[in-house]
Amino acid sequence: MGTDSQRRKKGQFGNEPSLKGAFASVMLLGVFLLVAWVSVFILFLSRQ
Amino acid sequence: MHIHRLEKIWLGFGLVMLFVFLAVLGVAAFAMGIQPPSPHHQMIDPTKVKETPPFDQPGIRQVADKEYEAVMTAYAFGYAPAAMEVPVGSTVHFTVTSSDVVHGFEIPGTNVNMMIEPGEVSQVSHKFTKPGEYLILCNEYCGIGHEMMATKLIVK
Repeated sequence: MGTDSQRRKKGQFGNEPSLKGAFASVMLLGVFLLVAWVSVFILFLSRQ
Repeated sequence: MHIHRLEKIWLGFGLVMLFVFLAVLGVAAFAMGIQPPSPHHQMIDPTKVKETPPFDQPGIRQVADKEYEAVMTAYAFGYAPAAMEVPVGSTVHFTVTSSDVVHGFEIPGTNVNMMIEPGEVSQVSHKFTKPGEYLILCNEYCGIGHEMMATKLIVK
């Protein structure tokens, strides 16, 4: 067997792409979203 | 279906964030009454604003201890009544409509910021805990004199 799809059909994992870079980028974006949301919420509460 | 371990982690993170944000906003809105302006939908005939109470007598009135009701009309290019004054620590309930075009109603530095549309009555309340001169500003383009459209609320 040669290709990944053939290996997956046999129940073995092929060569999975590494998701470390994607994970880092997604978490970076997530932290940015979290910080932005909380900052704006604090600003809102301070003006209430 | 195979989901990668790292994908599970970031999806979980995202979902938790979503539920936390929704919970915070939900509690603020329903348990603490922090909601967008105009919680009650009220309409008015925009051609008859000057004859329809309470807008036939715009002004600021005391309704309870440290509580005031400001009934205002927005027009091109000002607000009625003009400068108002309240003691510090007062809560002011603003009830505003427009007698012509769409206007804005913003008090910079506070969370008071809403649209004033002809045919609609807009409401927002704010407690003024610090003394000073608060600008009431039109932040919705309404015509040639838009940049001059403002008035003041003085908190003593």
